[in-house]
Amino acid sequence: MISTEQLYQTLKQHFRFTDFRAGQLDALTALSAGQNTLAVLPTGAGKTLIYELYGVVTQKLVLIVSPLISLMQDQVTALTVKGEKRAAALTSLMTYSEKNWVLRHLSEYRFLFVSPEMLSQDQILSAFQRVQIGLLVVDEAHCISTWGPDFRPEYLLLGQIRHQLGDPLTLMATATATQHVRDDIKQKLQLPQATEIVEPVDRQNIFLSVERFDTQNDKNDRLIELVAKLKKPGVVYFSSKKKANEMAELLTAKTNSKVAAYHADLDPETRFKVQQQFMQDQLDVICATSAFGMGIDKNNVRFVIHYHVPSDVESYWQEIGRAGRDGEQSVAILLYQSGDEQIAQFLSEATIPQDNEIHYYFQQNAPQIAGDEKANLIWFYKQHGYREDQLQAAFAKRREQRLLALRKMMGYLRTTACKRRYIQAYFDQLKGDDHLPKHCCSSDEPQPDFKGLGLLASTADSAAANDPQNSNTEWQAILTRLFNFAGHQSGAL
Amino acid sequence: MDATQLITFLSPTAPRRLRVIENILVGKRTVSTLYWGMRYHQLSWLGYEKGLTRETMNQSVAELNERGWVIVDQTNAQLTDRGAAEQRRVLQSRYQPQYFNIRLVIDVATFWQRLLLATQVVSEQSYQNNQYYPLQVSWQVKQTIKRWFSHYHNSGLQGDFQAFWQTFFTQLPSKQATFMSRLLVGHQQPGETLTQVARDFGLGESEAKLMEVDLICQLAKRVSQTDNGSVHALLSGLKTPLISESAALTLRSFMAGESLQTISQKRALKLSTVREHLLEAAIMLPKEQFNFQRVLQPKLVAQMQDRLGAVPLDEWQFKQVEDLQVEFWQFRLLEILRSKQIDDKH
Repeated sequence: MISTEQLYQTLKQHFRFTDFRAGQLDALTALSAGQNTLAVLPTGAGKTLIYELYGVVTQKLVLIVSPLISLMQDQVTALTVKGEKRAAALTSLMTYSEKNWVLRHLSEYRFLFVSPEMLSQDQILSAFQRVQIGLLVVDEAHCISTWGPDFRPEYLLLGQIRHQLGDPLTLMATATATQHVRDDIKQKLQLPQATEIVEPVDRQNIFLSVERFDTQNDKNDRLIELVAKLKKPGVVYFSSKKKANEMAELLTAKTNSKVAAYHADLDPETRFKVQQQFMQDQLDVICATSAFGMGIDKNNVRFVIHYHVPSDVESYWQEIGRAGRDGEQSVAILLYQSGDEQIAQFLSEATIPQDNEIHYYFQQNAPQIAGDEKANLIWFYKQHGYREDQLQAAFAKRREQRLLALRKMMGYLRTTACKRRYIQAYFDQLKGDDHLPKHCCSSDEPQPDFKGLGLLASTADSAAANDPQNSNTEWQAILTRLFNFAGHQSGAL
Repeated sequence: MDATQLITFLSPTAPRRLRVIENILVGKRTVSTLYWGMRYHQLSWLGYEKGLTRETMNQSVAELNERGWVIVDQTNAQLTDRGAAEQRRVLQSRYQPQYFNIRLVIDVATFWQRLLLATQVVSEQSYQNNQYYPLQVSWQVKQTIKRWFSHYHNSGLQGDFQAFWQTFFTQLPSKQATFMSRLLVGHQQPGETLTQVARDFGLGESEAKLMEVDLICQLAKRVSQTDNGSVHALLSGLKTPLISESAALTLRSFMAGESLQTISQKRALKLSTVREHLLEAAIMLPKEQFNFQRVLQPKLVAQMQDRLGAVPLDEWQFKQVEDLQVEFWQFRLLEILRSKQIDDKH
């Protein structure tokens, strides 16, 4: 049993903090007492600190199941930057020899990240069976519920995999989960008794706004206007990579802001540069798809704008949670054009196979060519003993769930009552009226007073103004800065 | 492959095979692709755009067609007069690669990853900082740079790199030097993306990419010639052979005087494969490195020459000579030899 003093001591010595943020200590205390724990902490509350600190205190291997390769790489890099060299991500990007090397040296690692697909491979699973896992972390645990059946079904195997790993102590971490999703996570991981640590998901410093448009041109004009006048930095989310690229170009042309697109198609060099420019306040606005966000730890994001309607409230809340992590006033604006919900519905259902597709693929005796996701999905279920009719019923149910989730999202944007209370109710955390901030949402203030909220840009805020690369972009100046040549010369004197 | 780039690969005097252009860009090394790639002076583009799709290719062709710049006959395309004028305009105004041959002998993509990361590492070292986000590169590149840095970190890297880049940029036109320097990553300098730099220079994305790759080729060449040990070491292991390993083995036996039958038996290869290896070598290597005379006896050459002498090379047809005692691969070899003799530009 680890004492509270030990936890505080490590927090101070290793992480250089004096206090835990809400929920962290509770989760650590539960884990220290050997209780499997489901922690629902808002974005930016420091979920990673929980397992990092646990790993440091216990000196045991922490295995983190994580949904995205880019997220895993960011987390490994973040640990390495902090001085923890015993961290690695087992991903499909690794070469055969690299993967083997890591698997042969598992016990030398403190933090290992792995996707559910990778972990369900026999070779990987049996390697982990040979070492003692101090803590199994299911990060972004809501994926088990929101992604499970029609996308990345390996998430559904995690309960069974956990048994095969000898039932290690488990932390399920997520930023957003309704009671229903929490129950679903615990049920699928076969941990119905897990301790729940639930912090309020509401973010009082984010003004919630929805604006409606009749045409796409009107919406584009408004986006340009908002980006030009709002205090930066900010993030604009899109449902498609193509749109993110287009609008990054348009915003660059029509505003004085430095804008870049960020999505899964970027090569690693570009991805790194955009991410680092944004972190170092050399970029005002990022036009992103949902690939951006998880893993980006930036405190001063002042606005998150959605150009398309997300397909469920969880995704929306997760994404606007990038705003105002520093506690300062920020704003989340959803730009809605009638008919946008059809895009959301299409995207939300696109991964769910139809009856005739299920029937067709069920006749096949081998997985289809790589990249045919539906074929592989159905193959997965066939391999796991599902019958065709069972699968059709399961996907029909899934389609209904997705539709319901979208309706809830549409409810948020349509409600004329308080949007914050709508969210609180959605996450089963409804509170009294006295828990609402003075400036709350566009239901009360259809024309938000950005000036009053302190959210109007001044010229000094622009990245163009802070950007040292903008000061002198001659190659001579760049070289001098790169190799600290001025400093070098004076040092030599 | 945008339409503007495609137009530079076409000719006003002869139809060109669109599939050859596409296969070269995708990086298919069949003898036919390599031969015609050589004829089109396009070999240095081999594998430049591995992800090129037929759809993109067709779009570019359709665009040129709509503007009346090409005549398309099935899968061949030829420039019209207006197309030829546009081609001249493009060749004058658009950046044209000068160092692309380097692509065939050095793995320039990996070289750039190494150099970019090494520059970042040295930059951070210049500020005595060891807590920073390194560029995301492949595991192999990361391991290579780790080993490289532990070997050289005490040997004045800061001065070496400053001097190397200074020399390189000084000999470039200043616009290109600035273009490239803005891509570099270092201490509190995340570097600019290609899109950002291209926008500032008023370049389209594909032209900017071309310029970047050509500058990287030029860098690789410069690094291969430098006596700056730490910088030179970044090229280690990145030389790529002009021909496949198997073709090189076949060539060695051939040049040692072994008959094609012997090579075929010893290496358990089909005779046709042995011939393909030799044709690949004849196309890709300088002509001094291939013994053409062994396959093309003077008498045979004279006979073929009688029939083909007046015909432009690209219009030679095997059926003009097939009644002679000659096989197709010998005919192709003569084509290769003539190509190298008349305009050995590639």
